[in-house]
Amino acid sequence: MLMDFILLFLFAGVPYYLVFEKTNILGKEKIFYLSSLLVIIGMIVFNVTEKTASVPFAIIALMASLFSLYKANKTTNLYKLSYYILFFNAPMLIMFQTKESTLYGVSLLVTLLGIFMMGKYYERNYGSANYRPITGITLVTPYAGLMLTIYLTALALYPPFPNSLMFLNGILNSDLCTLWYIAVVVIFFGNFLIAVRVMAKTVFGKPNTNVHYIDLAPKERWLHLTMFIILLVLSIVGLKELLA
Amino acid sequence: MEKLVLFIPFIPIMIAIVIGFLNKKEFMPKVAIFFSSIVALLGLYGTYYVMSTDEVIYGFGGYLVFNELSAILVPYVAILGLVIRKYSTKYMWDEPGYKRFFILLNFIFSAIYLLVMSNNLMILAIAWQLMSISLYLLITFNVESKSAIKNGGWTMLVHKLADLLFIIAVILTYKIFGSFELAELSQKWLALSASGPIDDPMVYVIGFLFLFAAMMKSAIIPFHLWLPYTSEAPTPVSALMHAGVVNVGGILLNKMAFLLLLTPAVLNVAFVMGLITAIFASILMLAVSDIKRSLGYSTVGQMGYMIMEVGLGAFSLAIYHLMVHGIFKASLFLESGSLINAARKEPNVPRRLSHELFWEEKPQYNSINMFRMVALFTVVPVVVFMGVKFALGEDFFHLNAAILILAFAWLTGTQLFLSFFEVTKANSPKVIFTVISSFIIVLFTYEFVGLALEHFLYGEHGALLYKVATLHVSGTMTLLMLIAIMFIGWYFTYKQHFVGIPIGEHKPNKLQWRIYKILAKEGYLSDLYIKYFKVF
Repeated sequence: MLMDFILLFLFAGVPYYLVFEKTNILGKEKIFYLSSLLVIIGMIVFNVTEKTASVPFAIIALMASLFSLYKANKTTNLYKLSYYILFFNAPMLIMFQTKESTLYGVSLLVTLLGIFMMGKYYERNYGSANYRPITGITLVTPYAGLMLTIYLTALALYPPFPNSLMFLNGILNSDLCTLWYIAVVVIFFGNFLIAVRVMAKTVFGKPNTNVHYIDLAPKERWLHLTMFIILLVLSIVGLKELLA
Repeated sequence: MEKLVLFIPFIPIMIAIVIGFLNKKEFMPKVAIFFSSIVALLGLYGTYYVMSTDEVIYGFGGYLVFNELSAILVPYVAILGLVIRKYSTKYMWDEPGYKRFFILLNFIFSAIYLLVMSNNLMILAIAWQLMSISLYLLITFNVESKSAIKNGGWTMLVHKLADLLFIIAVILTYKIFGSFELAELSQKWLALSASGPIDDPMVYVIGFLFLFAAMMKSAIIPFHLWLPYTSEAPTPVSALMHAGVVNVGGILLNKMAFLLLLTPAVLNVAFVMGLITAIFASILMLAVSDIKRSLGYSTVGQMGYMIMEVGLGAFSLAIYHLMVHGIFKASLFLESGSLINAARKEPNVPRRLSHELFWEEKPQYNSINMFRMVALFTVVPVVVFMGVKFALGEDFFHLNAAILILAFAWLTGTQLFLSFFEVTKANSPKVIFTVISSFIIVLFTYEFVGLALEHFLYGEHGALLYKVATLHVSGTMTLLMLIAIMFIGWYFTYKQHFVGIPIGEHKPNKLQWRIYKILAKEGYLSDLYIKYFKVF
């Protein structure tokens, strides 16, 4: 019971970001760092104990996940988006087997770190991580457009990116039950809907004539290229796992 | 040497990577066309190898296969790809994002090759999804267009649903049959089918999941709206969509043909859904006012025919249909794109190549002569052939699938002929010849091409598919249905092509107007989606 609750808390199954958002104890950036750290600890604990969460806890995580989906749908801030999505994916981290959960968690964290870094880039060049006024970046800032497209495609659970492969591997190795079907449908479509909505408002659209667009700096490009290579390596791992 | 053929799905990815590093615009199409030509040559070599040795080529640990289906489809896709790339070289030149376009185009071709050549359900699932995302990025190529992005979002939603159904079907298949390998699964399904349809409801669930996933990708009603509403994509993308992407439903069902042997109900549902789509979309095609949407509905109607053929057990005919329709639709889109492009530059009305070739600048007697020649050289030999065939008493109409396919094919053929030769009311002998010729050609095509393809793809198991799909309707009932279909077809053909001089004042009928309004509004389905499903 206690272990279940610890796992639920570590795997972001409880939307504790509400407390930090209301009280301003931690900034948006730090909430992401904290939740990522807790998920990593959760993965370690999960691997050590090899204990899967019980059904009631998975249901709680799913309900909290739906709330995070609602929040992710409302926000236009890339920092907030990254931790909302992390919380949204909690049921899968809880429901998958140990190995599959760890692999999916790592892929998700790398992708979200990419989105978070794009938020940093937005903040540095446009004053905030809010993407709403910065539309049509594909045409005016092609590198930034490309990287955001990659991260959002990965997030929307499309191959060849690892999230999709790990997700597929995870659901393949889980036991089929009603909760499984509900969670798979919710997470599969939820990730997709959020990613496509963000894509439509950032990567696509007419460039804003009131904004002076600046593309990724060479240093940032290398950083994102590294992230992309990590994603590709994870994809290979995912493909191997899937076909094994 | 023959194993090289299995590299086909990876060559477009390599092209995309090379193009990614190129800076000069002129080199991008050159690289794409050069390597696509290699793909086409490899595809043709693979086809030659499979046909000459009767052996399939396995590779990459059995995950990929170049079998009979690949032997037919890979060269088709490769040649289509070559034409589209060549066409895009000039057509897309002035568009922003030339490099992006070629990269995405190569990704989608890679996904199609992978889908055709996969021998593993997991690889198939990956290719299936890879195609969805590549399509989305191509549809929304014009990133500044709000409607393109919105319709692209809707397209993605339908495709994502298809992805989910497909994934669940794959997982259930694995849980029940214990394998991902298609060749192994096909053997299992074939062995199981020997004892007739099975009772396990889960097998039917799998069959329906695969069918609905295929229907979504092939724009079958009620999942059709994504196709007519994505005409805003660049013309080469439209050509690819109508000639390649929508066909994947048919390809999937062909790959799963032996599974469907176990589930006759799935085939019956496919037949009904295909029939409804074929009729409804064809009527909508005539009623909608937007020419591009009309073309979209034309494709939806053809996909309906294709699914209907699958539902009748004519799997190989569906492949033949999708290829012929693909070539026809791609040429239509590419030519229309060229016309629009030419119209932007020329002050006069641009000339149309196909029109020039067949009708324009030719004396009338030439056209009539040509028509008579076609009629003469098709009617006489085929009548002799069919006469001999009937005299020998072979069971040509032993399954009602054949009758229905022939009826529909004949109607389509008649319409095509009447349009092609611009038949008028004054020329009655010509009409009779047209109708007879089309019927004979349909029989000829069915007998030779359809059956040859069937023998090539399914060997002795082809007849099993027809047997399972046969609707349990009596022979008399089938013949009555056939006669009814022919009369309706005749009536529509007459109405469409023989416009008489109106006698007196024509008063619009209220009921007719209402029906027309419903059809022109596409059955209010699009309004329903826009009003109540505000997702994007």
